[in-house]
Amino acid sequence: MTSTTTRTTRGRVAIAVLLIVAVVSVFVVRLVDIQVVQAEGLNAASLASRSDSTVTLGTRGDILDANGVVLATSILRYAIEADPSAVDEFERPAADGSGEVTVTADQAIGELATAMGLDPAAITAILSADPSSRYALISKSVDVATYNAIRALDIPWLYYKADQSRSYPDGSVAGNLVGFVGEDGTALAGTELTQDKCLAGSDGTEVTETGEDGVAIPGSTVTVTDAVDGGDVQLTINSDLQYFAQEALAQRVTEVGAESGTVVVTEAKTGKILTAAEYPTVDPNNIDATDPEYRGAKVFSDPFEPGSTFKSITAASLIDAGAATPDSQVLAPYEYTSGDAVIHDSFYHAPMPWTLTGVIEQSSNTGISMLSNNMSVDQRWDYMNKFHLGQKTEVGFVGEDSGDILPGDVSGPTQLDDQTIYNTTFGQGLTVTAVQMASAYQAIANNGVRMPVQLFEGCRHADGTVTDAPAASTGEQVISAQAAQDTVHMMESVATTGYAADAIKIPGYRVSAKTGTAEMSDGSGAYGGAYLTSMAGMAPSDDPQYVVSVTIRKPVTITSGLAAAPVFQKVLSQVLKTYRVQPSTVPAPELPTTY
Amino acid sequence: MTNLATVPIERLGAPAPAGEPRRRWLSPAPDRVARPRQRPRIVYAAVAIGGIAIIALAQLLLSIGLSDGAYQISSLQSEQKDLARTNQALTEQLTAFSSPQNLVQNAQALGMVSNGNTVYLRLSDGAVLGSPTPASAANAPIAANQALVPNSLLQPEQVVAAPVPDASSAPQAAAPDPTVPWQGALPSPQTH
Repeated sequence: MTSTTTRTTRGRVAIAVLLIVAVVSVFVVRLVDIQVVQAEGLNAASLASRSDSTVTLGTRGDILDANGVVLATSILRYAIEADPSAVDEFERPAADGSGEVTVTADQAIGELATAMGLDPAAITAILSADPSSRYALISKSVDVATYNAIRALDIPWLYYKADQSRSYPDGSVAGNLVGFVGEDGTALAGTELTQDKCLAGSDGTEVTETGEDGVAIPGSTVTVTDAVDGGDVQLTINSDLQYFAQEALAQRVTEVGAESGTVVVTEAKTGKILTAAEYPTVDPNNIDATDPEYRGAKVFSDPFEPGSTFKSITAASLIDAGAATPDSQVLAPYEYTSGDAVIHDSFYHAPMPWTLTGVIEQSSNTGISMLSNNMSVDQRWDYMNKFHLGQKTEVGFVGEDSGDILPGDVSGPTQLDDQTIYNTTFGQGLTVTAVQMASAYQAIANNGVRMPVQLFEGCRHADGTVTDAPAASTGEQVISAQAAQDTVHMMESVATTGYAADAIKIPGYRVSAKTGTAEMSDGSGAYGGAYLTSMAGMAPSDDPQYVVSVTIRKPVTITSGLAAAPVFQKVLSQVLKTYRVQPSTVPAPELPTTY
Repeated sequence: MTNLATVPIERLGAPAPAGEPRRRWLSPAPDRVARPRQRPRIVYAAVAIGGIAIIALAQLLLSIGLSDGAYQISSLQSEQKDLARTNQALTEQLTAFSSPQNLVQNAQALGMVSNGNTVYLRLSDGAVLGSPTPASAANAPIAANQALVPNSLLQPEQVVAAPVPDASSAPQAAAPDPTVPWQGALPSPQTH
């Protein structure tokens, strides 16, 4: 073996080794680059190309009445979208199963229009607005039946998107309280808005790896965010009673040519609102059909001068303060003058020897004004505050108004002019909401104990727990039990011998009530000749269980409390029937009305 | 590095004097003691290859099963979606049907009237509280009017048609007996 051959062999070996090393290191560098340096980006890109991210819907909660009747619920609606650039003829299996048939674009549009109940020209217009576009919205929301019909057409250039929508099965029953949501699902009014925190759910996301045919690869589903369903809100409303009240009220409002009206029913012992009806009321399924003015809950948001129904509150305050008894005597003239104030009764009469009971029964403005002189002005306002007038109720309803028992520019009741001081004894010169008025009557009906006004039972979550339930309360003693009972008995004389007695009689039951005919302000400080007639009361008088308060605004054919009386009678009868209240057994005490 | 195999044996150790006879003590290694010649263990190979085959087969079957399941899940899920949709559509219909507007309207179409006059029967002594009066359409507290308490979910055709009394088959209506037939206390069990 020569040394030359040895050297050549060695050289070859060295070159081969070097080449191998070079090639291997190129591979190693590339490998490290892919596996380490770019690993994250490449992994994400590969996952994205085979994975499918879906939004799982968190359902918005229901709104229920006291008995669990669904007043608002979430449903799925479908958006129908199209790809105009792809509109062309296509093949689909023939109806008789014999091969495929060709469907032309016009034919498909015609079928689609029939399924949706639209004019084919309208769909053609949408599709031809921009034929090169990849997206056109045909319908924002179709129901399940329509969606199924459209899907059955097998049109390849249509796309569908499920979306949550709200349905209100009872329509305008309690529509004022339930409220509504906008097209994009944001709460706009009523309980939907007030309790939005409870009702709202949040959507989740799920990522699934899919094969080429869109079928999920087993075990590849990863939940990125959990969907959270919203809670259910239960109201204290009885929807059947609410319907009855709305129907009775609406009939009377149209009958007397009035503008609007409200009915509030509360449970005397608990302060729960059983009915808060108004006319007109929005049908949340069809918001546009209602004047924007009436899309809210006026029982909470629209304060008014209550008029004579307020006399019961003044009388209750007088009795509790020891400034009067049901037998307190007053010689009530037609016109009473004190300082700058001039008070008239609603009808002309010679000076009458009325007791406080007689003043209530006859609804005498002069009588209640003169008797209120036995009590200081500050003290009277203290009572109004104790009745929670001029304050928002515990419900905290959206848009709720506090009413005004003092004008904004006055710091205390003693600064008021004489006329206003006397006017407030019979419910003019101050404003209350329908719910506040019902709440004040609830205190009188419940032996002087005012219970917090309650509309919401709480928020029931998907796991069954209930939160935000109002704290149990023993209420506030606003007036003594005796003063409350005396007031109830005085109001009974309105129902037995007052001018509206025949209209509010309920056979078998003792009823206490007070009529009211308030002059409505014309908005510029003067009274404009329009009236708000009202009727508020409770039954049975021996142990009041339920309070009903009715107002009717601007009636034309009847402008006295008689306009509201039939609604009061019907609703109260229905309440007593619904809750199986036994007829009264003790006869009414006959309080003297004159002396 | 030197390959020992290529190095001539002479170069190992001190050069041996030429012609010197081979050292006696270097003798060829004796033949291995004749052990029984080991036969190739075919069973091991068979087990290994068989095992691999079984694993591969199991894997294959498992993934066939899984992907089959995936298709089944996918089709069941779409069926579930369809059923949920049907359920929702029917629930929507049901709740609209059970709305008070629909019930009252249908009841009225069937000729039913609500009686505003409540009467109670006291079980303890059988006393009738209140004065029973027959219900009449004129005295009904409310008459349903869709326009006043609207519900846009209801279609007008959902109101049933009033039944037409069939004169031939209906039994002759007996004049209602206004008297209450039962006299005395209500019967009650005598258990103690």
